[in-house]
Formats: sequence, structure tokens, C-alpha cells
Amino acid sequence: MNELLVMARIAGKRAAFRAVEVQSVIEIEGISPIPRAPDFITGLTAMRSRSLTVVDCRKSLGLSVETAPGVRAAVVEVEGHLYALQVDQVEDVAEARSDPEPVSGGFGDAWQRVSLGMVETDAGPAVLIDVGRMIAGPPAIHSARKPGNEPIGVSA
Amino acid sequence: MDDLLAEFVAETREMLEAIEGEIVAWEADPGDRARLDSIFRFVHTVKGNCGFFDFPQLESLSHAAESALAEVRAGRRSADVQLVNGVLAIIDRIGRLTDQIESGENLTTTGDDMLIAMLDNTAEETSEPQEIQAVEAFSARSNTPSSTPRSIRLPVELLDRVMSGVSDMVLARNDLARRLRASGSEPAIDGPFERLSGILNDVREATTRMRMQRIEHLYNPVPRLVRDLSAELGKQVMVDLEGEDAEMDREMIEMIRDPVTHIIRNAIDHGIETPAERRAAGKHEIGLLSMTARQSGNRIAVMISDDGKGLDCARLGSKAVAAGLLTEAQLAEMSREDLHQLIFEPGLSTAETVSEVSGRGVGMDVVRANLDKIGGTIRVRSTPGEGTLFVLEIPLTLSIVAGLTVSVGDQRFAVPRSFVEEIIHGAASSLEYTRLGDADLVTFRGRRIPCLSLARVLNMREVSDLRQETLLLIRLGTGDLFALAVDRVFDHEDLVVKPLAPAVMATGIYAGTTLLDDGSPILMLDVYTIAAQNGLVSEVRVRPAGRDEQVQHAAAKTRPIMLFVGMDGRRRAIDMNLVRRIDVLSRDAVDIEGERAQIVIDGAILPLIGLNDQPLPEDKIKLLRLSDGHCELAYAVSEVADAAAIDSAIVPSDADPSIEGVTLVGGQPVPIIDGLSLFARHGRTIRTDTALTCRLPADDDWSRTMLHPLVQAAGYRITTSAEDSADVIIVMEEQAVPADTAATVIRLHSDADQPGSADCGIYRYDRDALLGALKHARAGKSQ
Repeated sequence: MNELLVMARIAGKRAAFRAVEVQSVIEIEGISPIPRAPDFITGLTAMRSRSLTVVDCRKSLGLSVETAPGVRAAVVEVEGHLYALQVDQVEDVAEARSDPEPVSGGFGDAWQRVSLGMVETDAGPAVLIDVGRMIAGPPAIHSARKPGNEPIGVSA
Repeated sequence: MDDLLAEFVAETREMLEAIEGEIVAWEADPGDRARLDSIFRFVHTVKGNCGFFDFPQLESLSHAAESALAEVRAGRRSADVQLVNGVLAIIDRIGRLTDQIESGENLTTTGDDMLIAMLDNTAEETSEPQEIQAVEAFSARSNTPSSTPRSIRLPVELLDRVMSGVSDMVLARNDLARRLRASGSEPAIDGPFERLSGILNDVREATTRMRMQRIEHLYNPVPRLVRDLSAELGKQVMVDLEGEDAEMDREMIEMIRDPVTHIIRNAIDHGIETPAERRAAGKHEIGLLSMTARQSGNRIAVMISDDGKGLDCARLGSKAVAAGLLTEAQLAEMSREDLHQLIFEPGLSTAETVSEVSGRGVGMDVVRANLDKIGGTIRVRSTPGEGTLFVLEIPLTLSIVAGLTVSVGDQRFAVPRSFVEEIIHGAASSLEYTRLGDADLVTFRGRRIPCLSLARVLNMREVSDLRQETLLLIRLGTGDLFALAVDRVFDHEDLVVKPLAPAVMATGIYAGTTLLDDGSPILMLDVYTIAAQNGLVSEVRVRPAGRDEQVQHAAAKTRPIMLFVGMDGRRRAIDMNLVRRIDVLSRDAVDIEGERAQIVIDGAILPLIGLNDQPLPEDKIKLLRLSDGHCELAYAVSEVADAAAIDSAIVPSDADPSIEGVTLVGGQPVPIIDGLSLFARHGRTIRTDTALTCRLPADDDWSRTMLHPLVQAAGYRITTSAEDSADVIIVMEEQAVPADTAATVIRLHSDADQPGSADCGIYRYDRDALLGALKHARAGKSQ
């Protein structure tokens, strides 16, 4: 199948998004942080008068992060909400040379959760990303409450 | 045809369309309970709606059908052919009557009695088929086209698309405006852009109005409804409506109109007791029904409470058991709270007797069904002997929210304005802070209010000095009050709020996101959840019985006063009711000459008092604006301290007539200014609306320069045109007087030696005589 893919790098690894799912690739200018939001959500940004929720893909994978993500992000829409997926860099648009296939042994826990399988491209194999899982964040963070969530007031 | 009636027609027709299928199915299988229920609800709703209008036939028809169906529902009667036919004939008839109402024809009543009689199961078997045919033939639908429709119904999705399109357009416009500004002035573009922008604002306002309606529209019919019902039932009920300016989706208002009507009917019929019962129970004879609407987060809470006898738990329970909803064992385990919720079960009603007013246990299940449909909830809470409170929570689908933008650190947030009762600067001397454990309390006007720091709520900063902050006093829908400390308050603006991604919503502290005019996204706080997460929301309370009673008690015992420090540095107090507002004005507005001091406020000149020969402050002067309802005074103060209540005795002071007496406030003696003598001395009635008109001679320099100011100062409106009607006409010398005038005529002459008299007039520089004549004229007119 000749599906178009948006090729990107996440934590140095080659990853691919289905081009039909990516509305555009933007350069993020300003991000307003969201206090108390899960760690993998960097904040909100605006694109063409709409708010986007900015997701750091590396953190969503549960990877520990020392460097800032790249300025470019892939914009996807999931259930009516727009997200900007921060990646190291967006490389190119390429044609898929194969259907997504599982890799024996998997991609490792973090990647396995967000992957739809491996696709071959002219630039080499890449992990095809499941956007819905990517924006859901790592399960541990997703369910655990952050320390600030317990009440700090008193009952009136 | 007025709007209400149009809505009634549209609604009835819509319901008819909706149950058309049900009718056919029911006819085929009269034992079908679900179909029976929906037909029953239809006639019940029609009957209920008739209460607003004067359609006795419609009401008696629907009542007849309802009674018959209720019998069937209760299993006391079977749905035989006669009954089914009768009900169907009535439904057809309702449809025809609706058409007639719409076209404004007189309603035909022929055959109605017979239709009603058909449903009377004691009546003998009639030869109905032919007669029904006869009725059908008689009232065959007239073919005259109905008048041009004044309204159309549109699918809500379409409106939503238009709305969101317009919101996006506004944001895109803001974006473009920003870019235009950045690229410098371009006259060729700026003009058309301004125009576009103006048009867009109009469109936006119109689209907002398309969907939003003040909740007032829900309230409007309530007083009438309550009045009619209470008269009918021999009860005395007072209505208290609050929060009418909350805005709500039109659709939602329509959806909750019926539920609200049902609840009010029930409250008056079953809740509030008769005056005699109330007296016996030691309550005020007049029952109180109150309705409050508040926006909480992305929901609107409508609370309806009465101070009647409350729900009868025991009866509810036994009825539920009798109806097979519960077993005795289950009943025994239920909390009272849960028991109360039973009233929303179909077929349960605690009414001993079935009445015309609230029917027979249909209302509440319909109410809940209606609310379920729109994603709302309803809860009830009741205390025996004290009253019942219904809380309806309705989602706020629409997203233009009046918001207040605030900041913590360098980040901005929005707070829905409807919550914010007051904004106080943290350093205000009237505030007192206490730290108990880890909680902050602030004492404001004698109340201890829990205080949350937004910075701490958001984990942005651990410590904040509340004195440096601004406090938003937030009142929740439940009546709970707390203070939210923020770094700065910016502005209020209408915000187009969009939903947030689920992962962000999960934090519970945000209700949505919006873009500011500069294009930066900000978060709208969900104040209610923030309060709930911090344990600041009490369980639902019966507000009127609680808060209002307290206030009334307090009002009976104490008198609110405002404490201030006068220009001479002394503490004084004045009755709070006299204080209209506190103003700070530039000293340029003050005009002092000798004894007379005046100040210009909002284009009006008010007497300025309270200076006590003290020098004016350097630049700004702080004023209490006092009003006795007729005239206003400005009272200069050096500092406004706080509001308080007089709870100890006032010791009268004979020596100083300007004070009413001295009382103790917080252990300190404070003289209370006597409002009566203050207004008696300085008050000057500003009666622009009742001012008399005085016509002065036109084209006369003396009259313009001398007379005009004098007459105006005496409180007259001045005209020189002979066309205007005048109450008093001043003429000079030999000038002719209009013959047919009803006005008082004052003649002036310039001969100082001529005696002033009614015949020859007044010497033009005899000021006192002229003022006397004007005063006399006024006295004559106002009688």
C-alpha cells in the first residue's frame, strides 16, 4: 500500500505518523503551561485562532527527558480536540513501502503501547504511531494523581 | 399572538407529532404500558401548559383524558375500546384546537362535553362511532392558511455550526488585527478592516442572542403561576426570584420550563401548608417559594425551595413498597436522603387527594426524564416541617461566558464572573487573616471565610502573602462562600470557551480554554471543583430556611451601619441604608465658597458636607454618596472603615443635634450621624422628572442673564419657546399673556417704586418676591 507518512524523530528514533491524521506541521511559538496537568502535556498553544493541547511525545512514551523538544510539532485531531505532538524533528513525507507489521519481540514497553507496527519506507523502517494512544500519555502518569491533588484547605 | 402562546402551539404540535406513532401502537395494543405512559405524559403536559393560558376547554379535555388514563395506569380500569377511542378523539381534538389557537379563530366547543362524557366510565355505553364521526365532520379542519409564521424552528446543530463559525471568525479577526498592527498602518486596509470588524461584532452579538436567553424568561411566568395557584388553593405564597441575569441556552430554558413548572406546582400544592396549618406550626402565615439560578463551572444550577412541610418520608417509603419498587428490607436500609429521591420514580406521589393542580404522581418522573434528556440532574433534599429544596443542574452547552481575567505569577486565568461577588484588595484594613493549621481564614465583615491561594491550588508557588494579593470573594451555587487569592485582577470580558482535552479536564480544575484578544490561550478555572477538592462545598442546604432567615433575624435585631473616619479624624457611623456608594473624585470637582461647598458628580451638583472646616486633601477626595431616595448628598470622609451592625444600645445625645446618638462598636464609642437632620439641613430635592417648566421671554438679554439662572435654581426647567407647554410663564412689562393658558403668570416690571402685587406684578430686582411667587406657583401645581 502506498500510504503517505509524516516521518519524524522521537527521542532520536525514527517514527511515522499517518499523513491523513496529521492536519499540519507547525512551529510552536508560545506555550502556556497548564498547572497540575499531567507531565506529558506541555501546555496550550494557539494555531489559527484555535487552542491546541501540546503533548511532548517523549514524555508520553514515559521516557525521561533532559533536552527541550524541537520547535516543530505535528497537529492531529482526536475526538474533536486538537493536539500538537512535539517531536525532535519532522523530517519528511514519505510513502509507506509496506503495511504496518508487528516486530517479533516488540519495540520495548514504552514504544509498544503507542505503536501500530513497523512500516518500511525509502528512508528505512519506522515505528508507526497510534496517535490516540500517544495523546493518552503513559499509563502510570495517566492514572496516578500528582502530589498536589490532595486538598490543602479545611472543611468549612 | 404573543411569544408564549406561539411557543405553546409549537410545543403542543411537536409533541403531537412525536406521539403520533405511539397512539397508533397503543390503539393496537392498549395494554402497552410504555405507550400508555407517554400518551399520559402528553395530556398531562398539555393540561399543565393550559394553566398559563385561558383555554378552559383544552384544560377540561386534557384533564378528562388524564383522569381516564390515570385510572388505567393504576389498574382500576382496563383500556377498553371506548376508552381508547375517547382518548384518541380527545388527542385529535387537541390538535385541532391548537390549529385554531394559532390562527386566532374562536375555539369551537361543540362536542367537547360528549367527548368528555365518553371517558366517564359510569356513563352508559353510547353509540360512539357515529357520534365521533359527527364531531369529526363538524370540526373539520378549516382550510384557511394560517397567518405568516413569526418564528421558525431550526435544528440546533445548524445554530451550533453558525455559532462556532462566528466564534472562530472573531478569533481569526483578532489574529488578523494583531498582524495588521504589527505590520504598521495601511490606510487602504485599515478602513475596510474596521468595517468588517464592526459587522462581525454585530453578527456575533446576534448569534449569541440566537441561542442565549436570560433566565428571566424562565422566571417571568412564575409570579403569575404562583399567584393563581395559591389563590386556587387558599394559600399565601411569596415568591423570591434571584439570579435572573444568568444566561442560558434557549433550548435548555425550554427544556426545563416544564420541570420547573411541575416543581412549583408541587411545592405550592403539597409543600406549603395552608395559613392555618402554618400558624399552628409556628411559621409565618405566608409561605416562601424561592428560585435561584447560578452558574457553576460549566453547569447552571437552578434551585427551587419552599418552606413548607417537607416530604413525607414514611409515606414515600410505604408507597414505594406498595408499588413494588422496593422490599420492606430495602426500605429499612435506605437513608432518608435516598428515600427522598424516590419521588422521581414513576407513579409515586405523596398527595392524599388528587387535585387539579399537581396531578397524580406523574410530575416528578417526567421532570427527571426531561432533565436526563439534556444531560442534567435533579436532586431533592427535604427537612420535615422546614421545607424542600430541589436542585436542578443543567449543563451549559454554550460557551460564551462572562469572565474575569486574573493572573498568578506571569500566567493568566479566567474565572466565570457569575461566581465573583466582590473583589477586595488583600491589604484592605477591614480584612483580618488567621492561619489555622495549614488553612487560611480571612475575616471580612464579621464573617470568617476560608481563603484559598490560587498559586497553591495550582502548585505554582508554595507561599504567598495574602496581603499582597487580591481576593475574589466567590459564592458558589450552593451558597458557600470562599475567598480566592490571585496576584492581579485584569479585566472582564466575554470569553468564547472551548472544551479542553480529556487529559487536561481530568485535573478537574479547569472548565475550558479560551483565547485572549492577543491570541494567547488561557484556561478557565472550574471554581466549583476547586472548592470541592478543597472541601469548601457543603452539602446542599435549604438556602431560604438557612440564610434568609438568618438575615431576617439579624435585620430585626440589628441595624447595619457604615463606619468611617471623618475629615477631622474622628470615627463616625452612618446608617448603611443611606449610603448609595463610595466615590473617589478629584478635588477639582469641589467648589467651595464661604459656607457653601458643592461637588460635581456625574454631571450633577451635589451639596458637599462633612468637611468640618478641614482642608481638602491634596488630590483625591473620598466621598460617601448618601441618598434618602429623593435627594443626594456627598459626605467627605478621610477613610471608609467597614460595615458593622449596631448591636448595643444607642445612647441619645441632646447636645449635638447632628448625631442620633452614640453606640459601641467593637468596644469603642462611635457617634452615629442623624440622617434625618442631615437631609433636613442639606438636602435639596433633585426632581428633574417632576420639575415644572417655566417659560421666559425670548430675545431678552436681561431675562437670559439674570432671570434664567434664578428660576433654574428654584427648580424649574426653562423654555423660551411659545410652543412648549409651561407651568409658569414669566412676562415682562406690558408683554401679552397667552389667553388660553392654564399656567401661572408672573409679571415683572422695572419700576422700583411700584408696589409688588398680583395685578401689576413684581419689581424685577425684588428677588424674594419673585422666589416667593415661584414657590407659590409650585405649591399650587403640585396639589
